[in-house]
Amino acid sequence: MASISVPAGETSAPQQPRLRVSDYLRWSVDHKIIGVQYMVTSLFFFLVGGVLALTIRTELLTPQLDVLQTGQQYNTVLSMHGLIMIFLWIIPMMAGFGNYLVPLMLGAKDMAFPWLNAFAFWLIPPAGLLMLLSWFIGPPEAGWTMYPPLSTIFSGDGQVLAALGAHLLGISSILGAINFLVTIRNMRPKGMGYFQMPLFVWAMTATSILVVMATPFLAGALTLLILDKVAGTAFFDPANGGDVLLWQNIFWFYSHPAVYIMVLPGMGILSEVLSIHSRKPIFGYKMIALSSMAIGGIGFTVWAHHMFTSLQPEYRLPFMITSMIIAVPTGIKIFSWLGTIWMGKIRFTSAMLFSLGFLSMFVIGGITGVMLAVIPFNLHVHDTYFVVAHFHFVLFGGSVFAIYSGLYHWYPKITGRMMDERIGRWQFWLTYIGFLLTFFPMHFAGILGMPRRVAVYAPEFQTLNSLSSAGSAVLGFAALLLIWNMYKSLYVGSIAGANPWRALTLEWATTSPPPAHNFVGDPVPFHDPYGYGSEEATAYLDEIDQRYGKGSPAQPGSAAAPQPAGD
Amino acid sequence: MNASMSTRTIFMIVAAGIVMIGGGLLIGQTMPSFFPPEASAQSQQIDSLFKILLVIGGAIFLLVQGLLLYSVIAFRAKPDDTTDGPHIHGNTTLEIVWTAIPAVIVTVLTILSYNVWVSIREEQPAEAVVNVVGARFNWAFTYTVPTDELPADTVVSELPQTIQDKLNQDGAVQVATNELHTYVGQSLKLEMETRDVIHSFWVPAFRMKQDLLPGRVTEIRLTPVEVPGNTDYPVRYPIRCAELCGGNHGAMVSWVVVHKDEAAYKSEFLNTEVSQVLHPPEDPVLRGRQLLESQQYPCFTCHVLSEFGWVGDVGPSLDGVADRAAAARAQATGLSAAEYLLQSIHEPNVFLVPGYGPLMPNLNIPDDQAADIVAFLCTLSVSGESAC
Ligand code: HEC
Ligand SMILES: [Cu+2]
Ligand SMILES: [Cu+2]
Repeated sequence: MASISVPAGETSAPQQPRLRVSDYLRWSVDHKIIGVQYMVTSLFFFLVGGVLALTIRTELLTPQLDVLQTGQQYNTVLSMHGLIMIFLWIIPMMAGFGNYLVPLMLGAKDMAFPWLNAFAFWLIPPAGLLMLLSWFIGPPEAGWTMYPPLSTIFSGDGQVLAALGAHLLGISSILGAINFLVTIRNMRPKGMGYFQMPLFVWAMTATSILVVMATPFLAGALTLLILDKVAGTAFFDPANGGDVLLWQNIFWFYSHPAVYIMVLPGMGILSEVLSIHSRKPIFGYKMIALSSMAIGGIGFTVWAHHMFTSLQPEYRLPFMITSMIIAVPTGIKIFSWLGTIWMGKIRFTSAMLFSLGFLSMFVIGGITGVMLAVIPFNLHVHDTYFVVAHFHFVLFGGSVFAIYSGLYHWYPKITGRMMDERIGRWQFWLTYIGFLLTFFPMHFAGILGMPRRVAVYAPEFQTLNSLSSAGSAVLGFAALLLIWNMYKSLYVGSIAGANPWRALTLEWATTSPPPAHNFVGDPVPFHDPYGYGSEEATAYLDEIDQRYGKGSPAQPGSAAAPQPAGD
Repeated sequence: MNASMSTRTIFMIVAAGIVMIGGGLLIGQTMPSFFPPEASAQSQQIDSLFKILLVIGGAIFLLVQGLLLYSVIAFRAKPDDTTDGPHIHGNTTLEIVWTAIPAVIVTVLTILSYNVWVSIREEQPAEAVVNVVGARFNWAFTYTVPTDELPADTVVSELPQTIQDKLNQDGAVQVATNELHTYVGQSLKLEMETRDVIHSFWVPAFRMKQDLLPGRVTEIRLTPVEVPGNTDYPVRYPIRCAELCGGNHGAMVSWVVVHKDEAAYKSEFLNTEVSQVLHPPEDPVLRGRQLLESQQYPCFTCHVLSEFGWVGDVGPSLDGVADRAAAARAQATGLSAAEYLLQSIHEPNVFLVPGYGPLMPNLNIPDDQAADIVAFLCTLSVSGESAC
């Protein structure tokens, strides 16, 4: 019989803590509360961005302008949609997962800098407010990419507010990332080398390096833009010695890595979920971990593939080469995940369904990504609906599917309750089908000649656009199912127990939700975070169940549901 | 037993391989039938590259989705099975293979793409240069016609003096339109500028795109070709702006008009335009009218002018502008009606019409043309007589 390392200290399971809504509405330095604050805030903005998306899709039901009054209004809607979904939904949501999970996965009591952590979060609400307010004081109309001179000459003063909002969000990201890096570097428990870390932690490492190195460039670009708008400088004004390509270069030097900032944590979530729910060790741990780092590194050299129709032609070639290279580590990940589920014992939980959905969608985004890296083909489809399709396959089919998956997977840990699996399955299939219906036809629209960001279009594209719009309604409805499921499970979900998925990583070796300082005593990690299918692992998991108790079916009204504030 | 198992496995792998590659080929063959026509030499090269991308992409798509589908069917846990899967951590050979194969594929793709990329930009012998100007939200094209290419029946000494002077000085005249005329086999080089924000010149049927950047002149090369089965000349293909440029971005559309051959191009388009330029109407009012109606300048994107069907709503309506210039504006500025109108073209922001911002750009219109425009604007009065 193998010797078992017991995760918790000597004392028995602590009293299950009560969650109260009021705890989440005020300053707190507990990483778990901050994590939830991030998640709930970003879910709110997800809904706002979603309403904007549906506005866009409703407008595009017909080739003429009918729902909105002017083309400018349309441009404002699409600018806000992009800004909100990127800066206020995906990025903070991933930060939320990171905050909640990284210390737990490392067996730590909290992040390295708890106060800084709270500060980083509290930058988000004012930033979000600035972005929303920009609508009312002369709306931005230059897209989330804010290309001058459209943004400097034609957008209203709201452009400045939106840029300031993005600035604050950038600061928040940088502070968060520094915190992650220090935490991961210094607070791993005894016995956990870098190559025993859960892959989600690896993903957060790569992401944080990207954030720390890339986001300052966004800050620089935004500062120059704001100066051009309010202080009469001419960084982007060629009439006075500036250059419009300067913006594009700096902006994409941040914004291409930003794609990985949004996707890598999702890939981390996938590595956890696929292994746990197919009950099989992750296939090629090192390759997955290192490919995250490779993607992070090469990710800094590809930015100008967003400028294949504007960059001086003689400089374009190197960016095609690097963009091709980056496909290789991405491919490694996809094949490693397939290797993981191969011969596994797949449980079709909602979390697993969304991760499998990610695999199936992300690969399409990856293939179109390689196509877009091919300069001659890019010349045709650049700035068309083909690109819109591509990045929604990456950011929705990728990041958002991963977020959905992660929510189903860790909700039991965060709340102590299971989510409703039946609603989860409905949500998955509606999302999967709605997603394909919304975004697949866009490839054709682009190839056939429909530019992106247009409020009016040639009548021959109407059929394709109607399909997309119909799909988007399904997607929207599915998102509401998720919110409903999360809300209702708080009250009637069955009790999760410490480790409902029988997972080996440390966040499951404590009660759900974990007590104030996460663990009682210093937890000892199981030596192999993905060692499923071994006797040792089974014994370890049984030990956890014994120590913390298993879950039980729903008992309405009891335990974990948050009580209203001030009880 | 063992041997038969492995034959079965090999059979399965071969079958899957055939499905994958066959499917990729099928995708690569069928998809292009949905494309826009292949109307330029560049589009033929780009499409053949795209077909390769489709075959490879299609095969990878089928491989991954196939493995995924097979896994979820074959490896689903039985309802009562609570055990774990096999304790396998990886397989170095496999990992090397799936790193190496994609690496080879992207290397090959890069080389193929490089060749096409070089070839579609190659300088052609005897290129015709056309100037393109983008402005929110219209396209303007200017063709330079040198003296020796003027229509055969031109007698230079009989042309108006101003035109003769211009021919002596520049050796050429300019023709301007808001559609791009060309003919099958013409090697075009477009030199593009923008008057305001970034635009992007895109002809889907040509598969080519290039941004117009403030402060720079950008270039794009195009060679229209015959599209099999097409007998109906001239053929028109849409030009679309692909870079967000403002509220009417989606409507910033024009046309490439491809004539059958050089002779048709000259007889159907160039010669009539050239002779109009060589023999401008004596009456400046008519000249001004022609100039505005040709939409060579983007006035129509911002102004209403009912006569021409203009519906722009950025600036004030030009209907009846002459009366206002002679009354309210003259009073406010102390200028005569004609002086005021000239000023609103050359220095639009010196006097702003009440209720409007400084949104009218200085379009750098040459003096003689500006004078003609003013002469025409002067006739936009209730009486229809010149109000200047
Ligand atoms: C980008 C939009 C835009 C374009 C293009 C444009 N204008 Fe204007 N125009 C305006 C605006 C806005 C005003 C009012 C503010 C001002 O007086 O400058 C205006 C004012 C005028 C006026 C004065 C009208 C009055 O009631 O006093 C005239 C005349 C005029 N434009 C003529 C032209 C002509 C001719 C062209 C083309 C050569 C042109 N505009 C192109 C936007 C435009
Ligand atoms: Cu990119
Ligand atoms: Cu444009």
